[in-house]
Amino acid sequence: MPAESEKAITVQELRRVYSSSKGIIRKTRNVVEAVKGISFDVDYGELFGLVGPNGAGKTTTIKMLTTLLTPTSGTAKVLGFDIVADYVDIRRRIGIIFGGERGLYYRVSGRENLRYFADLYGVPLPKREGTINELLGLVGLADRADERVEGYSRGMKQRLHIAKGLINDPRLIFMDEPTIGLDPEAARETRAMIKGLVEEGKTILLTTHYMFEADELCQRIGVISGGKIVALDSPSALKRFVKDVTVIEVEAFGVAEADLTALRQQPDVTTVNANLEGERQTIRVQTARGSEFIPTVTKLLSKAKIMEVRIKEPTLEDAYLKLVA
Amino acid sequence: MTSNFQEWPPLRIFLSSAQFAFKALFSWLRPEMWLMQVLTLPLFQMAFFVYLARFVAPAAANVAFIAVGNAMQVASFSSIFAVCNLTSEEKWQGTLVPLIASPANRFPLFLGRATFQILNGMATIAVGFLYATFIFGVDMSHANFLSLALVVLITSLAMTGFGLMLGSVGLFMRTAMIVANIFLFIGELLCGVNFPVTVLPIWLQPVSYAIPMTYGTMAARAAVQGSGILQLGPVLLQEIGSGFVSILIGYLLFRGFEILAIRRGKLEEY
Amino acid sequence: MLNFFSDPQWIIPNIIAPFVFTAVALIFFRNASGSLALYAVLGGGMMGMWGNTLYGAGFALAFDRWNGTLEYVLATPSRLVWIVAGRSASAAVLGLVNALAVLVVAVVGFKAQIGIVDPVTFLLALVLTLASLSALGVLFCSSFLLTRSASVLTNGLEMPIYVASGSMFPIALLPFWSHPLSLSLGPTWGIDALRHAADVTYVGMSFGFWTDILVLLASTAIYLAIGFWLFIIVEKKVRRNASLVEY
Repeated sequence: MPAESEKAITVQELRRVYSSSKGIIRKTRNVVEAVKGISFDVDYGELFGLVGPNGAGKTTTIKMLTTLLTPTSGTAKVLGFDIVADYVDIRRRIGIIFGGERGLYYRVSGRENLRYFADLYGVPLPKREGTINELLGLVGLADRADERVEGYSRGMKQRLHIAKGLINDPRLIFMDEPTIGLDPEAARETRAMIKGLVEEGKTILLTTHYMFEADELCQRIGVISGGKIVALDSPSALKRFVKDVTVIEVEAFGVAEADLTALRQQPDVTTVNANLEGERQTIRVQTARGSEFIPTVTKLLSKAKIMEVRIKEPTLEDAYLKLVA
Repeated sequence: MTSNFQEWPPLRIFLSSAQFAFKALFSWLRPEMWLMQVLTLPLFQMAFFVYLARFVAPAAANVAFIAVGNAMQVASFSSIFAVCNLTSEEKWQGTLVPLIASPANRFPLFLGRATFQILNGMATIAVGFLYATFIFGVDMSHANFLSLALVVLITSLAMTGFGLMLGSVGLFMRTAMIVANIFLFIGELLCGVNFPVTVLPIWLQPVSYAIPMTYGTMAARAAVQGSGILQLGPVLLQEIGSGFVSILIGYLLFRGFEILAIRRGKLEEY
Repeated sequence: MLNFFSDPQWIIPNIIAPFVFTAVALIFFRNASGSLALYAVLGGGMMGMWGNTLYGAGFALAFDRWNGTLEYVLATPSRLVWIVAGRSASAAVLGLVNALAVLVVAVVGFKAQIGIVDPVTFLLALVLTLASLSALGVLFCSSFLLTRSASVLTNGLEMPIYVASGSMFPIALLPFWSHPLSLSLGPTWGIDALRHAADVTYVGMSFGFWTDILVLLASTAIYLAIGFWLFIIVEKKVRRNASLVEY
């Protein structure tokens, strides 16, 4: 057993290539490099966030670190153990919370699911029931624990996933999009729980694409885009990345993609991020020019009906958008 | 190792998996339904072939041959079909991923889930023999019940091992159940259930001898005619051997699947 | 029907069992005279048709239930029973294909010799047997919907029907008290009719070909009527409690 490692996680030049072939007679190979050589560290007791757009490589990275996927090249150590050679040691000591609809046994109760995984993880028998009850209380499932999982709502299943991920009292926990699909209240409770776990001294690596969540929870954030880490720092440091940027937020009705193209082509515009769905459309324009740029914006959007124009402080999301653009 | 025997990890995982599979099964299969299945399946399968035999060649010996053979064959439903169902379910439930992510020793995990089906198989065969005796008139007056019981036990174990192997094959396919269904019925043709294996074409016979049930039917008939355990020794050893090989292959396939999936990144596919 | 094809696991048992059973039967019959081979082959074909119908109908809605599309199916303006009847019929046609396959394998593989004396009456018997099977499937489907254990029941029903309908042997061999049950099944008459059409010397149930046909027609009507009635009950039950939609 190696001596206590300095860092909880160390990643060096981790790469992962997926190759698939289509067709039976004429095979066409499709090679995707999901993770292109990333390196980072996570300290003990840290809440580290891995953020990035869909397909950036977050899930692939977390799968490699949890020993569910072998890397194509590069090395990583989790709790001092090598992810390829010492995978059993790693599996024993970490908690995995991937969430989602699947991954639970539908036909038995929540409690029985937890009991089974407790056995698989070797939770000492005298402690088993106590641990299960404690966890059920923590995630708020104590009163529905003995019902079949097939009857649980989405939020309840997510909470059971969390309980399951903590069953072996892990020192390091990996969470993949822990609040996705939850209603705002459930999400808020989950975030509070996560903060509580860190206060207990646990180390957490989570992935998310909600920037405000990363901003609220994480001590450090790694921004991953296109398989590479494009930034690695604390949220406040990342926000300084956009300190010279003004964000003009426009609420309008009837804006089309074409109008945005013109806007994007303006020299002083860094990014234009728009939500054109629904009745109320929100367009966020990042510019170095400040409030004097507002007339230009309103002129380019004149074909639409503008309801409100605001100057906003750049947020982590804006930093993120600038980084992944 | 801890002082508490129950805490020994492989045993604990084995027992836990066995218990869990049992619970998961009976959560949707109401006991009445299960009972109905245990009682009716042997009856009608046996009836079909017995009546067919009576139609073609009504000699009592023929009927006895078929009745005993079918009484054994009914174990296939639990040992093959139900066991493959386990794998199939794990796949679409998405629980293969958490299982693989856990540090649990794979071998007891692999075996434990099938435990109930071993018992189920034995119960079904027992019912089958009751039918054979009381409904289809098989003469059990010379039977050696001790050796028959041993034959039933070994056959159920070996066939469950065979089922586990098929289940592992099923991991690599989109649906494990295709394989299960083929082997469920093919026994009627290949395992000396309705006629001796020697009737089959030469090139087909090796397949028969790879399936534990073939030895089971031979041994069962000998036991019914009074053979003792010593006399059955060779056949039973062959059966145990084939069952053991099946379990081994099944386990290796299971581990192979796991390693391949982790390397290729296809764990969630089904 | 497309749905059915896309999930091969449901087809397999029905394809495999008839082949295997026919093979076994033909091996039994290998020393017997030619006309007896007819029993094996026609029986195998019938089993193929029956198995597919049962699965097609029984699982027609169970499949929706698992997929989560049951609610949408129930919400459509079409009456449930016709939807099921349609699926059941297409399943029976599938069964026909299966039956033909068995025939081909039997003739080619085992060199069985069967000659059909009168193709027209044979065809008539075949179509009506298919219809009767579909109707029976509809009836089963509705009763399956009322219980949670559709799959267990269909596994259980296959074999009893193979036995009771005398698919490969005369029902006269069966215990006398089971005869009324056998006779209440449309397929029993169907297979008798098919044998009549294929072999002039066939005596069988000694009711004659046209009696068989009449009973087939009658049974189809009765099954549909009962099925229809049961579906009305099902539709009412659906509105009253949502249990149908849950698996």
